[in-house]
Amino acid sequence: MKVVELHKSVTESNDRDANDLRKELKERKVCLVNLMSSPGAGKTTLLAKTVTDLKDQLKIGVIEADIASDVDAIKISNQGAKSIQVHTDGMCHMDAGMTKRGVDELGVDELDLVFLENVGNLICPAEFDTGAHKNVMILSVPEGDDKPLKYPLMFERADALLLTKMDTIKFFNFDLEKCIDQVKKLNPNINIFPVSAKTGDGMDKWEAYLKSTIF
Amino acid sequence: MSSIKVMDVKAEIISDNDKEAAALREEVRKNKVFFVNLMASPGAGKTTTLVRTINSLKSKYRIGVMEADVDSLVDAKTIEETGAKVVQLHTGGACHMDVAMTKSGLDLLDCKDLDLVFLENVGNLVCPAEFDVGANKRVMILSVPEGDDKALKYPLMFEVSDLLLVNKIDCLEVFDFNFDALKENVSKLNKNLEIIPVSSLTGEGFDKWIDWLDKEVDSFLKDARKDR
Repeated sequence: MKVVELHKSVTESNDRDANDLRKELKERKVCLVNLMSSPGAGKTTLLAKTVTDLKDQLKIGVIEADIASDVDAIKISNQGAKSIQVHTDGMCHMDAGMTKRGVDELGVDELDLVFLENVGNLICPAEFDTGAHKNVMILSVPEGDDKPLKYPLMFERADALLLTKMDTIKFFNFDLEKCIDQVKKLNPNINIFPVSAKTGDGMDKWEAYLKSTIF
Repeated sequence: MSSIKVMDVKAEIISDNDKEAAALREEVRKNKVFFVNLMASPGAGKTTTLVRTINSLKSKYRIGVMEADVDSLVDAKTIEETGAKVVQLHTGGACHMDVAMTKSGLDLLDCKDLDLVFLENVGNLVCPAEFDVGANKRVMILSVPEGDDKALKYPLMFEVSDLLLVNKIDCLEVFDFNFDALKENVSKLNKNLEIIPVSSLTGEGFDKWIDWLDKEVDSFLKDARKDR
């Protein structure tokens, strides 16, 4: 009996496309950062603040991926970054093929740094390599410190973790030390940045990290 | 006309799932169990809401909970402390529950001695909305820190839900959350979706949610018990 491992073949072919895209963008000296989180963790607010802070130093583009709406792309474009909205039409994640189309549509020749704001979801985006040079995830304080236990793959795949909405920590029962311990158990090499995009606290370290990633 | 066969795989999966969901709903009804599918983003407060709900209703109904997670046991342990009957379902990486998984969960839970069963779905605003699991009601939680624009971005979840709980209203003062904007966006998607603001932490607004649920369960059970 022939058995087709569909999931494996899908991810293998995606991995090939992702490696091709990563190589192509590196040759063009464009660094692609895949930003992932739950819905409402603050991806867009963080991006808007990052773009505002860095726009005089880096040429930044943003690919906004959502199932529907263009509210995020409008917000980002208001900050002065080149941006496009990608509609996934119900899909819960971006894969390498969709990302390549987004990159082509955006036009990245004059850019140093491109963010892909993935669909708000802690599960499926972790399984699909988009071709990004860095995978960055956001966990916001109100979501709770137990998320590494429940969504381990996302924490394993991330090169950097931004702990956002730090300005609200006094309202929530969030144990920062415990959370960082659990994350490090899953991924000892991860870079962790506690930040508040609202107050600007901690943004300098995150932005220095970003600058160190560009080609 | 082209003779190439086209298979819309996703539509077939969904249509099979819908048929199985209807069958499971009927089966659960025969067991006289009211079944609620609870969905939300990660960290919106599904487990905390369930704990307070169970504590409010456990003297009246025999309650069971299926905790669905990609991994871990933390939620099932929290629920166990309420005295409710609980099973933990690991989805093995899957981002939603479908009918087959739910049926296995219900068999494992064994609902014969239960009146009310909750499925705490995987924390995800996207995929769980596409899969009817055979529940009598779908309840969605949106938490204040997530923002009032979620209906624009995850419309299907709002369209398929029967009730929306807006949780964490105790921290409204630190977030820029506009209830009118939420209501306006929601009403465009689902006119019948009732919105109840609550805090599962302080209990504020909880009476209204418990009333709603109690009425639903009560009338369902009266009806189901008439069937012979």
